[in-house]
Amino acid sequence: MRALRGFTLLICVAASPALVAQNFAVLAEHLYTMADGTQGGPGLVLIRDGKIEAVRTGPHQQPPDGYTVLKATFVTPGLIDTDTTAGISGAYNVRADQDQDEATDPNTADVRSLDSFNPNERLLQVLNQYGVTTVQTAPGPRNPVAGRAGIFKTAAPGSASPTVEQLAVRQESAMVFNLGDNPKDTYGKKDKAPATRMKTAEIIRHALSDAKAYEEKWDKWKKEGSDISKQPSRDMKLEALLPVVDGKLPAIFNAYRADDIDTAIRIGNEFHLHYMLASVTEGYLITDAIRRAGVPCLLGPVMQRFQSLETANATFENPAILKRAGIPIALMTGLEDYVPKNRILLFEAGIAAANGLGMEQAVRTVTADAAKVLSIDDRVGSLAPGKDADVALFDGDPFEYTSHVLAVLVGGQVSYQRSK
Amino acid sequence: MRVRTVRSGRTTLCLWALLCAAIAFSAQTSAAQATLAIRGAKVYPISGPPIEHGVLLVANGKIVAVGEEGKIKIPRGATIEDAVAKVVMPGIVDSHSHIGIIANPMAEDSGDANEGSGPIQPGLRALDAIDPADPNIRMATAGGVTTANIMPGSGNVMGGQTAYVKLRGNTIEQMLIPGTIGGMKMANGENPKHYGAKDKAPMTRMEEAALARGIYEKAAQYKAKWDAYNKAVTAGDKTAKQPDRDLDLDPVVEVLEGKRVVHNHTHRADDIMTALRLSDEFHYRLVVQHGTESCEVASELAKRHVPVSFTIVDSPGGKLETINLDLGCPAALEKAGVKVAFNTDDPITSSRLIIRQAALAVRGGMSEESALKGLTIYPAEMLDLGDRIGTLDPGKDADFIVLSGPPFSVYTHVLETWIEGQKVFDRSNPQDLRYATGGFGVGDRFPASPRGGN
Repeated sequence: MRALRGFTLLICVAASPALVAQNFAVLAEHLYTMADGTQGGPGLVLIRDGKIEAVRTGPHQQPPDGYTVLKATFVTPGLIDTDTTAGISGAYNVRADQDQDEATDPNTADVRSLDSFNPNERLLQVLNQYGVTTVQTAPGPRNPVAGRAGIFKTAAPGSASPTVEQLAVRQESAMVFNLGDNPKDTYGKKDKAPATRMKTAEIIRHALSDAKAYEEKWDKWKKEGSDISKQPSRDMKLEALLPVVDGKLPAIFNAYRADDIDTAIRIGNEFHLHYMLASVTEGYLITDAIRRAGVPCLLGPVMQRFQSLETANATFENPAILKRAGIPIALMTGLEDYVPKNRILLFEAGIAAANGLGMEQAVRTVTADAAKVLSIDDRVGSLAPGKDADVALFDGDPFEYTSHVLAVLVGGQVSYQRSK
Repeated sequence: MRVRTVRSGRTTLCLWALLCAAIAFSAQTSAAQATLAIRGAKVYPISGPPIEHGVLLVANGKIVAVGEEGKIKIPRGATIEDAVAKVVMPGIVDSHSHIGIIANPMAEDSGDANEGSGPIQPGLRALDAIDPADPNIRMATAGGVTTANIMPGSGNVMGGQTAYVKLRGNTIEQMLIPGTIGGMKMANGENPKHYGAKDKAPMTRMEEAALARGIYEKAAQYKAKWDAYNKAVTAGDKTAKQPDRDLDLDPVVEVLEGKRVVHNHTHRADDIMTALRLSDEFHYRLVVQHGTESCEVASELAKRHVPVSFTIVDSPGGKLETINLDLGCPAALEKAGVKVAFNTDDPITSSRLIIRQAALAVRGGMSEESALKGLTIYPAEMLDLGDRIGTLDPGKDADFIVLSGPPFSVYTHVLETWIEGQKVFDRSNPQDLRYATGGFGVGDRFPASPRGGN
């Protein structure tokens, strides 16, 4: 509560609807910028016009005039959930608000999370209240070729009801491929393909191979004079896969079991994709293979349930073991299909911190490292001049069960502040 | 055991002499070893304020003494365990769990919690489906759980008889707490309505309540018949006709007689009121299980002294009746004078993190004192076991845990779990550690019993 003295003014100003963008001075007892330099000392972050203007570390910082002062015990960059269904899979969990899995065709490369994204979904608000300011929202785990993810902010400065375009950092950020139990359970039960892991791999390889052939066909047509009467027919699925086989759009392979992770590496290498691994539940069993592949891992929530054989070997220590093995890691919350409807990145990082990862590294994993893995580190993930002013303020160690998020800033404006 | 094989008189005598000597010897050593002293830890007796440098004395599975170091006399020959800078508190009581009945890993046939063949199943006993080798039970001890109320699921209006168990032993008989008969699981709200999809009852909350009233009315009539019969027999009437025994109605009669508490899955405020309405009508004892919106009707609960066994999940929703989940609810209940316990509803949340449930309630504003009670004495009372477990007091079962630091810190680990003076979990043992963190092979049912086949 001591840390809250600077809030009285803020509450008055922020309540005004005709809000002119404010400039903030965030005073921290323990500042984790996740930019260069030592972390955790006292410091001051100046915010102007939605961006970080300056960062000053060291004790006895005086906020300059003209800035609204916010004080907190711990201050970190806004957290980044690198793979979730929040925004397209709603809290109510009824058909009306579930738009994450187009399970009508094992290849839905042509779909985009962008087109299902509900900016007013309350789960986004919940995530924001726990310090998450950026999410990569991806199609669910059912289709071998599931479609395109996008990267979004969880709030937009100055808008209570933003459009998805206002929230988007990248409208299309990756193509999602799913391996393991989910695709075969979805289609095998309906006597459709895939019914086995073999077929799932084959569907993915086919799609990638077809995309290459499609590209060659169009190149050939262009080379031979672009005669409209001979133009190849367009295929939206294959077109969506073109940037993937060209290595321009990252591929995300979602895999839980060690052999499925290995299959992902096999396919990724075969087609020379720019790819990363997601979930990676049994990654700790094959760290050598993952390190050899040189790919980053978006690690599934450590508190995930043992709800199937492929997640039965989940361990709280997965992030710590992979990090120790020199593998670039970030954390993700994925899809939950029951209670809780979404895992909370802050809580997952806390359990990882307490199980070998350590506090500072856990903060880094869900901020700077996550931004780097998603190639959005030019904008978010650290508190450095010129970056988006996405900031999380806490009244204690961010990961302690009994700490609170005092306030969250997105794009330099307060998206959440604790009322009590 | 060996005595049984002895036949000839002389050998018998000789062996008896040896045996007596052996018994005398072992009695002597066990008397010396029997007392265990945990020394130096911060001790939370729960029945009183924490003791900074405490001593806990244990013998014959019971607590002998608890107090300040220096004030408690440690008997000569006692085994002394140094626990300086650690924390000791009572073993945790999980008042709502499905360990052993929804086994790990979850697969198509590993779930035995919901008998989906009909909504009223009072004759079912959880104990007939609990697998003592389920790894989830070991994982629960890794979270500090020593006692659990293992229940049928919430798919039925009356789901069956619950089992009050200690988390030890290879058979359900070894797990069951002697003298207990368990509670009765009931559910209202969304879950039992799944029958509606099959064009069966219940399809609505109205029918759920009607089905519940029906079974209680039936049991009341059954009880009246037996009461009349017993009265006649006592009066010497030899012509009195004995009513037929009904295995389904006997346990419902136990509910009506107050011998069996009803554990009612109920989330929404109006569903909680329906549960209260039924318990008012049939005068049975009730524990509100989950109670997501219970703070909205806190005064109604307080007025009736009905406690809440609360489940906290990390985000709201996943189903309509949990959409208003709020970390502040346990604190609001505390303020209204309602006793709150924290449960795992394992596998909904992991038993390894049961302390986290209470810690998140502290985040929501509850006092640490009530949150600690919510892990120990309050759930013990909800299972009618408050005189036996739930605090560290002389005479109670020696169920306790040793923590590496403050109970509500994310960085604190459960180091040891003890049930009736026996250590059942030790984090320093790599085999046990796997149950605390998870990992490859934790799902094996008998990891410690290599059979040497092949």
